[in-house]
Amino acid sequence: MTQERFRQIIDDLVKLKDTSELMLDLAYSSILLNSRELAEEVQALEEYMDNLHTRFELHVLSSGFKPEESKNFLGLIRLGVVTEEIADAAAELAEVVLRELEPHPVLKLVIKEAEETVTSAQVSESSPVNGKTLREAGIPDKTGMWILVIKRGKSWIRPRPDVTLKAGDVLIASGYADGEEDFKRLISGEEDI
Amino acid sequence: MVELEKIEYKPVSIRDLLVEMKNISELMIDLAYSAALFHSRELAEDVIELERHIDTLAYRLNMNVMLAARDIEEAEALLGVSAVSSAADKISDAAADIANIVLRKIGIHPIVREAFKRVEEQLIRVRVKPGSPLSGKTLAELELASKIGVDVIAIRRGERWIINPKGKDLIKPDDVLIARGTLNGVKELKKLAEEGSEAGG
Repeated sequence: MTQERFRQIIDDLVKLKDTSELMLDLAYSSILLNSRELAEEVQALEEYMDNLHTRFELHVLSSGFKPEESKNFLGLIRLGVVTEEIADAAAELAEVVLRELEPHPVLKLVIKEAEETVTSAQVSESSPVNGKTLREAGIPDKTGMWILVIKRGKSWIRPRPDVTLKAGDVLIASGYADGEEDFKRLISGEEDI
Repeated sequence: MVELEKIEYKPVSIRDLLVEMKNISELMIDLAYSAALFHSRELAEDVIELERHIDTLAYRLNMNVMLAARDIEEAEALLGVSAVSSAADKISDAAADIANIVLRKIGIHPIVREAFKRVEEQLIRVRVKPGSPLSGKTLAELELASKIGVDVIAIRRGERWIINPKGKDLIKPDDVLIARGTLNGVKELKKLAEEGSEAGG
């Protein structure tokens, strides 16, 4: 296999896994916040996943592997399928919001109580992350919560490391429930950690 | 043939069932990826067992949902509950598919390990050295999630596995921890686990 092909397959697999999990978190967020925008984002990512998955499979199948390597390559193909299955499950969740089913109150409780939870907090003027880039803010390392998306006014911003956080931004995040309090404290700036 | 659990109605709260299904299904994905990355048949077998447990929970949930709807409005509202349960079920099936790659000896291409070095949520396996600052503490005392952004998803102690350990669970010397978290977080965990008592805080 050429170095270039090898690199492409790795890139695609990383994106497939990360995107499938992002979709799941966004889908739960869309239910929790009853947000059409987030649910639509999940649907858009589902299409992106379909294309990515096809490209991944084509790259794997055309990598010129030897017969004795076929088992390893089958494993690779199956991992790709799994990310697609997770993405489908996420799309199904988002559909609850898109079809305007009024989410049952129990759903919000479930999402809040789960071990991996989704939550949101607004950046205050006095927050230690105000004016910092996401990279500088280091929120996941400090709180165990990942930023899924940033809402600034009416627009939604992808959480790239060089995005500068501003007071008023609403950060939607997912992570292990234990970190939620620390996350809210850090972002709202009520108390430095 | 695998022994399947008999389905019986139990009056359990929909909320509790759904929280359990969500927690277990997401844990299963990380356990299954760990089984693949660290070549662990035991973890893969646990994933298969959890998958059957999820199926049982899904049946129970469905029965409770059927009983809960008293009118059209409630039936509409409860559709969302069914959707979440079905999604959790699908996710657990996906995890079982990964576990089967391990159990059927299909093989994990070295590319997978390369790729997993770059994914956002990192998985790590690390042995706790005697004298490590982790040893002898409960997970609740360590607060790894809020302090370093890491969550321990399984502990192997000798032959025994503790899957999804709780706050009261103790970390002992020579335990093998499987954990998920940020890149910096898992590096920090490795450092703490492999630190001797002299260097430890």
